[in-house]
Amino acid sequence: MNKTIRNLLTSAVVLALAPLPVFSSGGNLLIKNGTILTVTKGVIAKGDILVLNGIIRQVGQDIQAPAGVQVIDATGKYVIPGIIDSHTHIALDGTNEGSEAITPEADVGEVVNADDTAILTALSGGVTMVHTMHGSANPIGGPNVVLKMKWGRPSEELIVHEALRTLKFALGENVKQSSRTITVGGPPPRYPQTRMGTNAIIRRELLKAKVYMEEWDRYNKLKASKTPPKNLLPPGKDLRMEVLSDLLRGKMVARCHDYQATEALEFIGLAKEFGFKVQAFEHAWEAYKIAAELAAAKIGISVFADSWAYKMEAAEGIAYDAGYCAKKGVLVSINSDSGERIRRLFNEASKTMKYGGLNETEALSLVTINPAIQLGVDRIVGSLEVGKQADIAIFNEHPMSSYTRCDMTIIDGDVYFDRGQYLKEREEAAKQAQAPKKGGRP
Amino acid sequence: MNVRQYLHLFMVILCLFAFALGETADVGPTYAIRKAKIVPVSGPVIEKGSLIIRDGLIEAVGPVDKVAIPEDAEVIEAEGLIAYPGLISAHTNLLLEEPTPARTAETPPGPAELIMGGAVQAQAAQTADLMIFKQLKPKKTTLDGFLKVGFTTVLVAPNRGIFQGQSVVVNLNGEKAETMVVKNPLALHINFTTIRGGYPSSLMGTIAYIRQSFLDADHYANAQTLYAKNPKGMKRPEFDPFLETLLPYLRDKKPVVFQCNDLEDIKRALKIIDEFKLKAMLTHANEAWRAAAVLKKMPIPLLVTLDFRPPNGSMYVNQGEDLKKKAETEIYPANAANLVKEGLRFALTTFGLNDGSAALKNIQSAIKAGLPKEEALKALTIQPAQYLGLAQQLGSLEPGKIANVILTKGELFDEKTQVEKVFVDGILWKF
Amino acid sequence: MTKRIFILCLIVGWAAGLFFAQTKPAKVIAIKGAKIVPVVGDDIDNGTILIKDGKIESIGKDVAIPNGAEVVEAKGLSAYPGMIDSYSILGLQEISGVSATVDTRETGRLNPQVFAIEALRYDSMHIPIARSNGITAAIVAPSGGVIAGQSVLIKLDGWTNREMVIKNPAAMQIEFPAIRGGRGGFGGGMGRGGVVAVDATRLIAELKEVFNKARYYNKRKNFASKNPSLPIPELDETLEFILPVLKGELQVMISVHSDRDIKAAIQFVKDENLKAVFFGVEQGWKVADDIKIANIPVIIGSLYDMPPVWDDGYDSLFRNPVILNKAGVKIAFSSMSASIAKDLPYHAAKAAAFGLDKKEALKAVTIYPAEIFGVDKLMGSLEKGKIANVVLSDGDILETKTNIKKVYIDGKECDLSNKYTELLEKFKKRG
Repeated sequence: MNKTIRNLLTSAVVLALAPLPVFSSGGNLLIKNGTILTVTKGVIAKGDILVLNGIIRQVGQDIQAPAGVQVIDATGKYVIPGIIDSHTHIALDGTNEGSEAITPEADVGEVVNADDTAILTALSGGVTMVHTMHGSANPIGGPNVVLKMKWGRPSEELIVHEALRTLKFALGENVKQSSRTITVGGPPPRYPQTRMGTNAIIRRELLKAKVYMEEWDRYNKLKASKTPPKNLLPPGKDLRMEVLSDLLRGKMVARCHDYQATEALEFIGLAKEFGFKVQAFEHAWEAYKIAAELAAAKIGISVFADSWAYKMEAAEGIAYDAGYCAKKGVLVSINSDSGERIRRLFNEASKTMKYGGLNETEALSLVTINPAIQLGVDRIVGSLEVGKQADIAIFNEHPMSSYTRCDMTIIDGDVYFDRGQYLKEREEAAKQAQAPKKGGRP
Repeated sequence: MNVRQYLHLFMVILCLFAFALGETADVGPTYAIRKAKIVPVSGPVIEKGSLIIRDGLIEAVGPVDKVAIPEDAEVIEAEGLIAYPGLISAHTNLLLEEPTPARTAETPPGPAELIMGGAVQAQAAQTADLMIFKQLKPKKTTLDGFLKVGFTTVLVAPNRGIFQGQSVVVNLNGEKAETMVVKNPLALHINFTTIRGGYPSSLMGTIAYIRQSFLDADHYANAQTLYAKNPKGMKRPEFDPFLETLLPYLRDKKPVVFQCNDLEDIKRALKIIDEFKLKAMLTHANEAWRAAAVLKKMPIPLLVTLDFRPPNGSMYVNQGEDLKKKAETEIYPANAANLVKEGLRFALTTFGLNDGSAALKNIQSAIKAGLPKEEALKALTIQPAQYLGLAQQLGSLEPGKIANVILTKGELFDEKTQVEKVFVDGILWKF
Repeated sequence: MTKRIFILCLIVGWAAGLFFAQTKPAKVIAIKGAKIVPVVGDDIDNGTILIKDGKIESIGKDVAIPNGAEVVEAKGLSAYPGMIDSYSILGLQEISGVSATVDTRETGRLNPQVFAIEALRYDSMHIPIARSNGITAAIVAPSGGVIAGQSVLIKLDGWTNREMVIKNPAAMQIEFPAIRGGRGGFGGGMGRGGVVAVDATRLIAELKEVFNKARYYNKRKNFASKNPSLPIPELDETLEFILPVLKGELQVMISVHSDRDIKAAIQFVKDENLKAVFFGVEQGWKVADDIKIANIPVIIGSLYDMPPVWDDGYDSLFRNPVILNKAGVKIAFSSMSASIAKDLPYHAAKAAAFGLDKKEALKAVTIYPAEIFGVDKLMGSLEKGKIANVVLSDGDILETKTNIKKVYIDGKECDLSNKYTELLEKFKKRG
């Protein structure tokens, strides 16, 4: 039991990088006597969760451990669904294909890097899943990917295939390169340099994609006809257009980096015009100004709690944004967008209680079930319910208290972070370092 | 005519022959290496043997009592010496005018896009048609450095851009490119790098770019085939020199070499190789041992470098000096040993190293880190010869093979060992 | 007609007078029924705080409320002293990405002549936000170079920058030259800059040289003032503004990070005989005893950061204050921010989550900073005679969910509206 993955990979020196313990329970666990915050089904005091083969099988009280199932004592602790970060850029080799304005072919799913120590950072903050995204350097960036934070496992095992396929769009200051100084004699600026141009170029690419789709439709029809022409050549496959076609066919949804209300409203218009789905606006610092429109269009937002005023378009980003929009019926998640903030997402979510008046469960939803819905994985994660995957975090205090600390993080029933074990190992290492070395000179 | 006159005549004829043959290598005298310990690599060690070199080839090899010494042979008494096949480095950037570091982003190809969405031409990425052979500028100092530690054959690859161009295999027999060539072109080299200031500027862009290029080549080939079959009534497909270059590699399965920086690059390459059914090799495949499970399912030639500096951008570089040092002194030197443990075959290369003594030092480090000596020898002789499709000519001491032979005092790779003599294409190298 | 207008004016004037009269500090305010957390001494349930002339007149369970006092019913609320942010850039930066709104760093290495107060934007949008979260005073510090300038201690209320001053200057800010590399971290990828050891040594030497020059400059000035025949030394603004530090009238705040640099900084403080406080001190836990022995208080930098090196452990920043506090070092927390200076209490709570005693955490945002900046006679706790900086909250002041109901600075109730609430109210009207 409790065979450490680290032992399995003794020579996986990468693990030496980070002294965090990684255990495999074989996906079978019984968590006992914790305060269970299911998020969707209330709170169970002194509750238990039985996990078999990585799936939550029972949530309740007085559950007996089947033979051979490891028991985790959570007395006095809080058990919550693993935290989900709806917008970050960790575990990738590169973030932006910023050379051109339109790069939907640049897929971050192709550059996942399972060695990124940010995964460990995420785990130490109870994060079990992230939506790791293309950057915001261009109007149409590229496809994003959803990962589980299974440190030590190969990159292909991190990818969550059940998630919605998402495509990154971006508007505003970043794509119009506001912070870039244009030097005389230097390279000419990239198109677009205005919000007008941003919309124009997105619209043009979507029109191009429509033509591309038509060409293929025409080809397929001819090919299927009884007498296909002799010199029938299939159109060239264009990765850029393929991705946009998938968006227009509803096989992907848009996640759009936006700050200002106007550009958001215009993007909603564009989405209507072309018939694609906007799943969420990212950052959305002026969402509170257009909460009604967002709620009506069923578009969520993925925002910071209060990190604002870092650029002009974030100058009206008020801390009430998340809470206010949530109350107005917008699906809200709190994201990190950072390899550091990711380990205190629970702290960030708790701020919506003060700014926005959410209750503890509502606040916790912003980093659990809500991002799960945004990513289309709420059937498998995001709350502690029977049948869902056992992505669980255990905190010493209520996770919405500022005094709280993540003590354990579990993914698919395996323990990927255990503070208790970590402290034990650190103590031992310190002892060894202090012990007099044998055979050395006196 | 006396014997002397005959000999003169013979020499003249020989010279004429050489002239007529044009660019072939000079043919040295016939050598008989006597009483050496012979390590043929392809067979058992001969404790006391002789090896005959004639016309640039190995004529005979065997125990002293089984090999007759030809009359015309210059005899080299080699008691106490050991004969090995010359070492092969299956990936280098040597002999080029200015060897540049392996992983630098390219300079901008030209002005950025001026019109809405106008694509930047990634010219720097499109040097697939470059024949690196044309850029060889051998210098004696470089040759000396590598020959001194026993290398007699190297693959020289281009080192710029994404589709970098086509490599050549040369014997280190002199300073004239034409006489050095063993095989040209050998392979198309692809690197997961980026183009600074142009497209693609990110790894994901690069991957898309590689994929799109093969898709385009495929489409191009389809159009060409269709047109060749039935040109009447069809618009002539436009000639594209870049895609044209890719065709033999895509359609005729000539070898493609992917340069990988880490485990993830290896997987990325495998995906593309599988997708386009390429015949491929992985170079700089230092973390291949971490992908052992996948590589056992999808065996592929692995070229692992003796340059132990972790690539820029790797976690070993950006987590502080301590880890970087650890990577160079402990982690990377153990790569080869780990591959042996995993039961994977591989060739060692000197890619990234510009001098021979560094290569030797690092071979020793790899051995210290657990690489069995005989595995090190195979990985520098018969294994690369096989990978390069040159196992008939190189990689072991067998009759009929090219006479790339080294004589050492002491076992090869040992710290005190000296390489006493080096034969390349049967010629005794003069340092 | 005119008469009517006159009367109307009179009424308006009277009403306005009433209005303004109410916002002026009432002579006596009695906060009644609150749970009082004085920070120094035990908590008082159901207590009363009597404020007179901006000061705490009396405090306790049985305080008689004089007639005519404005009574504030605070049942169910807690009363805390206002919190003090020990390092912020409030008033020096509005929007970090818009350089026109940033006044944090002067160019050049030696800038003792620049004063934060002189750039302080008293109506910064960030100040009311911090204030409405219970922060009533803050250090505002310049950064950059080696001597960054002079910081100021302000109260978060006032109609002009000078009105806000509690203590000016509060400290001369020194950014101790950091040594990069060697152990990774600090410049080794975690983005804390630093220079190579040689340069650090040179910069420290330069700093010491400046102090020496200043001492000599001072000596000459003194002699010249006593003896008119001696020349008055030419004005040197750099040296001039270091003098208060040399005379022991002003402390230095030294920004220092790694254990190695901290040790060097301790030595520097000793050598130069300075009154010092350290800031940042991320690896202070490694040399906690040295800091204790040197008796130098520590201002903990923002905990919204990563450990400087992986080897320190993922939680090193969080346990740093814990270890320092246990070693007996006086600590105070800081936001290092303008836009989220309001988060000061959460930094303290974060340390508490990792083992800092909750009461100590609270002290480290109230009485300890007051002591460090020599204003503990005036503020930092709820005690008789101190300035009435009082915060009324509906819960633990370090908890995120806690709402701040009233804030008094100098006994005056502050407006708790701010840019957040203004915009919220504006768009609430949309429905």
